Amino acid sequence: MKAILLNESSSSSFNPYFHAATLLAAALAVCLVFFGDFLFAAAALVVAFVSFLTTRHLTRLVAKANEQKSDLDEQLIQSQKLAAIGELSSGIAHEINNPLAIMGQETEWIKHLLKADNLQAPGATEELRDSLREIVDQVDRCKEITHKLLDFARKKEPLIQAADVNKLIEDMARLVEKEAAQKNIQILREYQKNLPRVPTDPPLLRQVVLNILNNAAYAIGKGGAITIATRLSGGDAVELAFSDTGCGIPKEQRDRIFDPFFTTKPPGEGTGLGLSISHSIIVKLGGRITVASEVGKGTTFTIQLPVGLT
Amino acid sequence: MKDFRVLIVDDEVDFLETIVKRLKRRKVDTTGIDSGIKALELLEKEPFDVVILDVRMPGMDGIETLKEMKKKRPLMEVIMLTGHASVESGVQGMHYGAFDYVMKPADIDELLGKIHEAYERKALHENRIREKLTI
Amino acid sequence: MPAKTKVLIVDDEERFRDTLKKLLTANGLETNAVGSGMEAIEELHQQPYDVILLDVKMPGMSGLEALAELKRINRDVEVIILTGHASVDVAVEIMRLGGYEYLLKPCPMEELLAKIESAFERKTAREERTKKVQTTASS
Repeated sequence: MKAILLNESSSSSFNPYFHAATLLAAALAVCLVFFGDFLFAAAALVVAFVSFLTTRHLTRLVAKANEQKSDLDEQLIQSQKLAAIGELSSGIAHEINNPLAIMGQETEWIKHLLKADNLQAPGATEELRDSLREIVDQVDRCKEITHKLLDFARKKEPLIQAADVNKLIEDMARLVEKEAAQKNIQILREYQKNLPRVPTDPPLLRQVVLNILNNAAYAIGKGGAITIATRLSGGDAVELAFSDTGCGIPKEQRDRIFDPFFTTKPPGEGTGLGLSISHSIIVKLGGRITVASEVGKGTTFTIQLPVGLT
Repeated sequence: MKDFRVLIVDDEVDFLETIVKRLKRRKVDTTGIDSGIKALELLEKEPFDVVILDVRMPGMDGIETLKEMKKKRPLMEVIMLTGHASVESGVQGMHYGAFDYVMKPADIDELLGKIHEAYERKALHENRIREKLTI
Repeated sequence: MPAKTKVLIVDDEERFRDTLKKLLTANGLETNAVGSGMEAIEELHQQPYDVILLDVKMPGMSGLEALAELKRINRDVEVIILTGHASVDVAVEIMRLGGYEYLLKPCPMEELLAKIESAFERKTAREERTKKVQTTASS
């Protein structure tokens, strides 16, 4: 009997204490038999057997519960994924619906203009041209949305090269500078000298920097400054900070700023995907991107990139 | 690394000749061509590793040429060249796969640095594909 | 529709509301257009409307919030919600707030005109009933 008990306990080794109790009770039973007290021995054996059954049942329940939990975890991840896809899809649908609605409307107007007496009216042909132009514009708008989406969905696995981030940022700053100067926006630099080379994907990082600089200029509008600062952070990371003296982001919007399709720009201007793409790029590069802002004062986007070899 | 091939595409002939001469002096195998369409035709016949491509060109402009190049030779890295900094062309270029940006007038050392980085990327990319194919 | 039906368009897409205004006017409706819920409320304070076409998704005040406020200003105005997506919850909410119905964007002209007409008919019918009640009460 002891052998059987030992066998069972080795295959489900969750609760050593209960198994010890079972064994103890069995051992007591054996001793009592040895000492000749059969009644107590029998009682002890019953206790041993009952406690054995109980512990085996309990350990099976625990194993089942664990299984169910990991199933639920998987389902949760899956449903979160589906929820994210759902949100993205409804965002896409809404974004594309607006241009579709406009195009539908323009074709109705064209149909109206093409009715015999309407076509004779002065300015009718110019209106026809205008409606067609609008349709072309809206088609372009849809193209931009789908392009950006495919970009977003495409698994852009980063190709890691050692990059001089100060130089990388400076190149993008110079690209933005001329147009910014026309709107009276200064670009100030505070690069830390002798930053270590950062293992990163240069074109992807360039995309992020350009996106942030663009947003900063848009937030300022006219007259202001964008400050770019780089520094070592904690010895194993490099920090890039982009501050602007723009309108700032209200607290309710700050949590959604990296959401796909979230934008404060009027319809047709921008897709609202820039920051969400930037965010996923930085995450893929093993870094973090955060935002701090004060309405009326300005906004700072901070990117942390690991320098350690991955 | 020195045996890689560079193609420069720019309609500004003076600039084109100067840059090709300078790069050749640095022992870089360089070819110059003055239009997007001619560049695409050349690419059908000869391989190149890195392309320096001007954004503003008459006929087929830089972005259109970039798109076509990325379609035909997705591994070939393209560095955009711009005489006037334009954020829009920058964003578009990045979006269509340009590796980097250089502003005219281009410092030859800076240009060389970028060409090397672009070539390094091409090599990494090719290696990764080779690895994927062997699994 | 006897006297010209007065319609107010509320949508944040400028081109959409401008072209819709042209289309409805060409179909014999007296039309105005504004770009936000707040503007619609102001407009309804200034002059009466028979039917309001209200986009559900707008920055600032949402379509449903505007619907509630517009019905508060004038209980008789009929509000048709324009939405890119239909859902049971939104439909129930629209009814609860007193909306007439909802239409999916993009919407063909005939359908829109038909809905505006039936909304107008409901408004007229209700107004006549109210008048009848008032005259019987006073007699």
